[in-house]
Amino acid sequence: MSVPFVIEQLLNAAALSALLFLVSVGLSLVFGILRIVNFAHGVFYMLGAYLGFTMVTLSGSFWLSLVAAPLLVGFLGAALESSTLRFIYRRPPSYQLLLTFGLALILEEAVRILYGPTAKPVDPPLPLQGSVQLLGAVYPRYRLFLIALGVVVAFFFWLFIRRTRAGLVLRAVAQNAEMAGCLGADVQRVRTLVFGLACALAGLGGVAAAPMVTAYLGMGISVIVDAFVVVVIGGLGSIGGSMAGSLIVGAAQTWGGYYISEAAMAIIYGVMGAILIFRPWGLFGEEE
Amino acid sequence: METTRRDFVRGAALGGAALAMGFPAVRRRAWAAEPIKIGLPTVLSGSNAQYGVQVKRACELFGKEINAKGGVLGRPLEFIYEDTGADPATAVRKAQKLVEKDGVKFLSGTILSSEALAVSAKCPEWKVILMSTINGAGALTAKSYNRYFFRINTSGPMGARALALYLAESPMKRFFGLGSDYAWGRDSVASFSKQITDAKKEVVGKDYPPVGTKDFASYIAKIKQSRAEGVYLALPGQDSTIFFKQALQFGLPREVKPLLEILELENMKALGEPMEGAIGSSRYPFTVDTPKNRDFVKRFHQMHGVYPDMFDGETYEGMEWLSQVIQKAGTADDVEKVIAAWEDSSYEGLEGPFFMRKCDHQAVQPGFVVQAVKDPKYPHLIPKILVSYPGELVTPKCRTEEFA
Repeated sequence: MSVPFVIEQLLNAAALSALLFLVSVGLSLVFGILRIVNFAHGVFYMLGAYLGFTMVTLSGSFWLSLVAAPLLVGFLGAALESSTLRFIYRRPPSYQLLLTFGLALILEEAVRILYGPTAKPVDPPLPLQGSVQLLGAVYPRYRLFLIALGVVVAFFFWLFIRRTRAGLVLRAVAQNAEMAGCLGADVQRVRTLVFGLACALAGLGGVAAAPMVTAYLGMGISVIVDAFVVVVIGGLGSIGGSMAGSLIVGAAQTWGGYYISEAAMAIIYGVMGAILIFRPWGLFGEEE
Repeated sequence: METTRRDFVRGAALGGAALAMGFPAVRRRAWAAEPIKIGLPTVLSGSNAQYGVQVKRACELFGKEINAKGGVLGRPLEFIYEDTGADPATAVRKAQKLVEKDGVKFLSGTILSSEALAVSAKCPEWKVILMSTINGAGALTAKSYNRYFFRINTSGPMGARALALYLAESPMKRFFGLGSDYAWGRDSVASFSKQITDAKKEVVGKDYPPVGTKDFASYIAKIKQSRAEGVYLALPGQDSTIFFKQALQFGLPREVKPLLEILELENMKALGEPMEGAIGSSRYPFTVDTPKNRDFVKRFHQMHGVYPDMFDGETYEGMEWLSQVIQKAGTADDVEKVIAAWEDSSYEGLEGPFFMRKCDHQAVQPGFVVQAVKDPKYPHLIPKILVSYPGELVTPKCRTEEFA
């Protein structure tokens, strides 16, 4: 095993982890604050990719779509929260599962009708095309950008939650919504904003993933399964957990895929199973 | 009593659900004769929907043409579509619904080989025909053969055979096999390995990524490390697109020549120019130059505004052949008679002559090796035929995946 090879595989794992983080952190956030397992989360990721495709085609600028597409997805998410989810928070969890699952089906069908079944290509912007020499390994620039994007988003997200007033309110609502409401926080608004933010993050993941996987039907379903594994391993509602979970799943898929590709998936589910048995609240989650 | 808003919403929702479930997706016509129903448990959602769309396009064109001519045995053809979601268990359930509730005698349109294997196994019990126009796994007409299953399309081993024959003449010596981890992918890689080894070449590695793999980076690393000169790829549509997209970013095609088990228009459309120069086998390249095909491509383009992809062509051929066989058998209700009429029968397909072998129900037909090239006449890359092989050369020995 040569050094360049090890570096390449480490970068591969990091790039995949970055992508998984962008998707799973929103899923985790929504659960932490709204107490909802959002099945539609993957579809917002897919929407991000398709909107990114449309915007790149129309404007010719990847950077513009990297900002605008997630914003649009975020608005759509917030609108859906205040028009549907808002009315069933008090119902049993099965209602919320059914609703978000239904939303996922409707949105996916809408995309199929609008865009057709053929995958849509998105090219990386010119400065990110091609590859660079890195300690002996030849590595695609776009994947390095993905890693950087993941790190930057994780850092600012952490700042937002831990160091701003809005983040404080958010944590208060997560801990005890009723008490936070009594103390003057507008819980309903917090929920709408959080749902929108989570969708925007998923959308960002989608735009960022598009140059790597194209925009295609079913990409939401395929990512949501991994995202669930990430949050179960890391702990629902914990950002640090999403980070750790993403790294574990990313590394397991990359190295597992290399050495024992047949069992790569089994390894991840094995880890998840072990966590569920010995630490059901996840690595970073809080025991309830 | 006044209806409250809540009651209304509830009623409307129930009504909507009943509407959605009660009426199968068919268009009924005012015919005196009972229609001949063909059940299509195909994939209409998710990443394999691109194939279901091809099935639908082909059936729409053929249905319109045959019904305008008075149908088959004076009866119109009717197509009933069901979405299997690319899941074998669902495919069996939907097929059972088509057989028991709709009373179809003919099934077709299954997308994944794993679905076809599951549905085919039930056909002797249901006494209905499953006609494959898409499924590639060699086992369907070999180990898992039953007399209710007919394969119109080129199988995976047949595609691998055409490629292997082509590569036998090339200076490349070392190959890597990458196939999706299910029946068709594994089958095709096994078949390619066997044939390429017989041609005195070397297979330096094989791997099987799961269906729906998002990140092929570690497989790409493995292919590079193997120092192969060519990589044989048996990945279904979307997986193939993703693999290519990533392989290009890693600069893989500069070092290792990609060779596709199926080179489809879908991939060429989704990837555009980077796909130029890729070589693969094709089950039906729409560029094949026969009078029948030229006319078909024109009619197809008129109706759908796009050029026919592989499974558009093969599904159209299947439906046409089946109609001819029903006509010959003189019945669409006695499945045994239809089987007898089909066995050892010939058919003039779009790309050349077809023959249905009695021994394993595999259609003998020409094999093609094609290359993705630019042509100013078309809005996307097109498959240029590099070489075509006669059916006898690319069809395996009866009920095996071996070649003479």
